[in-house]
Amino acid sequence: MNKEERLIKRYKAEKRFQFYGKAAIFMALLFLLVFLTKIFSTGYTAFQKTWLVIPVNYNADLLYLDPDKKPTTEDINDADFYEFGIETFISLDPDASEDQIMELKKMFAFTFERELKYYLLDNLDSFGKTVDVKLTASDDLDQVFKGNYPRDIPENRRRASDYQLKIFDKLNEDGRVISEFNASFFTNADSREAELAGIASSFMGSLFSILVCLSIAFPVALLAAVYLEEFAPKNRFTDFIEVNINNLAAVPSIVFGLLGLGVLLAVFGLPRSTPLVGGITLSLMTLPTIIIAARASLKAVPPSIREAALAMGASRMQTTMHHTVPLALPGTLSGTIIGLAQALGETAPLILIGMVAFVNTIPGTPMDPAASLPVQIYIWAESAERGFVEKVSACIMVLLFFLIFMNLGAQLIRHKFEKKWN
Amino acid sequence: MNKIEAKNVDVYYGAKQALFDINMDIEANKVTALIGPSGCGKSTFLRCLNRMNDVIDICKVSGVVKINDYDINQKDTDVVRLREKVGMIFQKPNPFPKTIYENISYGPEIHGIAQSKSEMDNIVEESLRKAALWEEVKDRIHEPGTGLSGGQQQRLCIARTISIKPEVILMDEPCSALDPIATAQIEELIDELRKEHTIIIVTHSMSQAARVSQNTGFFHLGKLIEVGSTDKIFKNPTQQQTQDYITGRFG
Repeated sequence: MNKEERLIKRYKAEKRFQFYGKAAIFMALLFLLVFLTKIFSTGYTAFQKTWLVIPVNYNADLLYLDPDKKPTTEDINDADFYEFGIETFISLDPDASEDQIMELKKMFAFTFERELKYYLLDNLDSFGKTVDVKLTASDDLDQVFKGNYPRDIPENRRRASDYQLKIFDKLNEDGRVISEFNASFFTNADSREAELAGIASSFMGSLFSILVCLSIAFPVALLAAVYLEEFAPKNRFTDFIEVNINNLAAVPSIVFGLLGLGVLLAVFGLPRSTPLVGGITLSLMTLPTIIIAARASLKAVPPSIREAALAMGASRMQTTMHHTVPLALPGTLSGTIIGLAQALGETAPLILIGMVAFVNTIPGTPMDPAASLPVQIYIWAESAERGFVEKVSACIMVLLFFLIFMNLGAQLIRHKFEKKWN
Repeated sequence: MNKIEAKNVDVYYGAKQALFDINMDIEANKVTALIGPSGCGKSTFLRCLNRMNDVIDICKVSGVVKINDYDINQKDTDVVRLREKVGMIFQKPNPFPKTIYENISYGPEIHGIAQSKSEMDNIVEESLRKAALWEEVKDRIHEPGTGLSGGQQQRLCIARTISIKPEVILMDEPCSALDPIATAQIEELIDELRKEHTIIIVTHSMSQAARVSQNTGFFHLGKLIEVGSTDKIFKNPTQQQTQDYITGRFG
């Protein structure tokens, strides 16, 4: 082979190599795109909520209230809005049979009593008048309206009956079906009814878990890393510890869940299903990640800085606290955020410590039962109702948003606070 | 008067012996140069004088090093107070990644030397003036010290060291990373500093040793071959090895 041929071959090899690299990146991006498209296309409708605007006659007789007296808040609270609601629904189709009345009722979320009551409480002037009130549509109609439900399959395989669809279409023609931003998705706790289910409980659960996790894992990991890196003698024992920390980072997360179940719940008797226990369990998982990141950042601080401080007569602790740790902090923090992002997306250990329970209240403290965002995804994905499909995707979107946000934060800290020596 | 007296100093790195039975006296307010080929142990000896070898896990030092007639190798010697008295300049300039001001104020701060802000300002200015850096940086003392040129950084390190008024300054090849002009500035500075400090400088450059020092010690393979006045070492050495090294026959 002459020189010219070898040159051409070398160029070709290099081109080929670069092409493989580009192809690999393209593949990765393609997967990401498919994944995101799927999530967004199924999930975006969850941010819309369907309402039925129906005429409501706040007639005193129907509410068994005194027509001549303006009702007080207490009167309204005591009134029976269930019967009143049924009467209102009948007014949509005065000829409805007994069965059809039940179908009419099922067109609305079961919260119709509350919604009717709160409307009156907020608008006392409406008493005795007929007004238009916005009621949450049932998840079946919500899905029909969003086009997620095929209408052309036989009635017995459909959740919305022909009768319901007839009434619904009539309302729609009159412009009485409206779609608005679904604020309750963010403010409601979980619910058995898809149209009412929200992420507030699992969001707060995740937030509390992460805070507990951070407040335990960060200081412990930083102290451990600083001691191992700056003070501990290098001997077999510290080698042994190092190997174990690395092993700990590779332990499947479900094992930490078992540990939380066996030790935190069984031995220490901490309350089940709480972010406190979840956070402690997650901190065990995050600990090795932060220790490894912190040690790497401490190692990256040039020894000349330590020598400079020591030669100035700084003690070892002063050298560490004044120079080494501040210089290693950006790296440690970005490692911490990445560890926390992992913990935020963790499901298995939380399921084991009972954070998978159905929680329909919003937790106010880390001691209250709660779910977490990834567990919420799991719970909803298990639900049979069609309305939860979009919720799953929407919840994934919220989780992804926070993960991206945290990773960007880590990146930013790395770039902004990275000190350049020499 | 002898500022430092080293007696029977042996140093081991693990199983390897780096210094063999060093005996050396160092005079106060003079510049003592330590010369010798690479790996001869001159830097190791320098680091014995402020116990910087403590930092290296596998390093073991034995023998007596007396500074002001006090043995610093005792178990209960406080290395912090020792290093307050014996400052050190390193081969590569190593300013803290902080401002010029903070670089210099750090020493006085941890040793509680300055009582007030104005006193600290005075120390910073005085140290920078003594290190012949003040005129160059006075308008930007609150900018990062790492932004200075190599020669300026090394003078900043000198200013940092003299801010706590050490009696002895150890210099470990302070000019090896600098260009000739910066080197000349540092050498001039060394001569100036000799008035207030005892200086021990490790150097690879024999011409530098001849220019800046009054006394010279020649190390070879971990042994102190010869020590005496610089004049005598360079013009009339008693040992053949010294003669060979000085004349460039090896090393």
